[in-house]
Amino acid sequence: MYISKFGDWLYATPVSTTIRETTWIIPNVQSVHILAIAVVVGSALVTELRLAGVLATDRPVAAVLRRYLPWLKWALLVLLLTGIVLVVAEPGRTLGNALFWTKMALVAGASLVTLQARRRRVTLSEDEGDAGWAIALSWLMLGVWCAVIFCGRFIAYT
Amino acid sequence: MIDQAFFQRLYDLPLSDAIRQNAMAFPLIESLHVLSITLVFGTILIVDLQLVGFCSHRRSALRLSAELLPFTWVAFASAVITGLLMFLSNAVAYINNTEFLVKMGLIVVAGLNMIYFHSTIYRSIAHWDEHPRAPTAARVAGATSLILWTSVIVFGRWIGFTLDMLF
Repeated sequence: MYISKFGDWLYATPVSTTIRETTWIIPNVQSVHILAIAVVVGSALVTELRLAGVLATDRPVAAVLRRYLPWLKWALLVLLLTGIVLVVAEPGRTLGNALFWTKMALVAGASLVTLQARRRRVTLSEDEGDAGWAIALSWLMLGVWCAVIFCGRFIAYT
Repeated sequence: MIDQAFFQRLYDLPLSDAIRQNAMAFPLIESLHVLSITLVFGTILIVDLQLVGFCSHRRSALRLSAELLPFTWVAFASAVITGLLMFLSNAVAYINNTEFLVKMGLIVVAGLNMIYFHSTIYRSIAHWDEHPRAPTAARVAGATSLILWTSVIVFGRWIGFTLDMLF
């Protein structure tokens, strides 16, 4: 109830109207959004598969994380900023949509694991023998990023 | 110029009709397409940036390519298949859409850029593979590839805003 009132208010604001009515803004912002997702997917693919012991096993985990964590951090920031523009433009399509909030929960969880738990491992000089649960978490993270993409696309259809 | 009747026949195929009739089909195919292109672009980005001079998790461009390009190719195949399915569902509209045609042209140019790179400077990669700075020709090929694939994604997204929806 409160969210839908906020959405209506946001929809009527001049900035929301301007974004909607300037025809080139939404397609280009969505393009940047997808490019940033590609950076996340590429970086997550290498780091999580390294953590799972599948890829680049000749390189230390810390070295791989040092390469890709900054990319993940900046790409996630770009995703947040472009995502905000898209929500402001069409609050009705997003804020009242359960899939949107599912996506937000998944992004928040995956970002937290990436930027906190993964970052901690950069400081470890030795690779610890990875436990089964850690390998499972890496595969889960890749699955979560895939789910995020599906949720994102399905928001447009629900 | 464009044989409209041919694309109308593609539109009329039972498979095309099935995609149009099933409300979940197009969003699912499109989601798979987006997942595929993020894998294609994400992995190409790492390899191209390495060529341009932003080192990845290893020094050797050759080993990096061997490690990542299998993912790129599988994802590219998936992008082609899902792209083809989306095309069939609305073939006449896509073939008359400027953004779609530009996107296809850009993919062809990106392929030609790759073929040119592999038939020229790549042949001597053993000599420059471990150097921190790749030869100019390799850096130009990497930068060209980045620009082309970025444009492919931008034009691809624009299709969704310019296509005549016929269903």
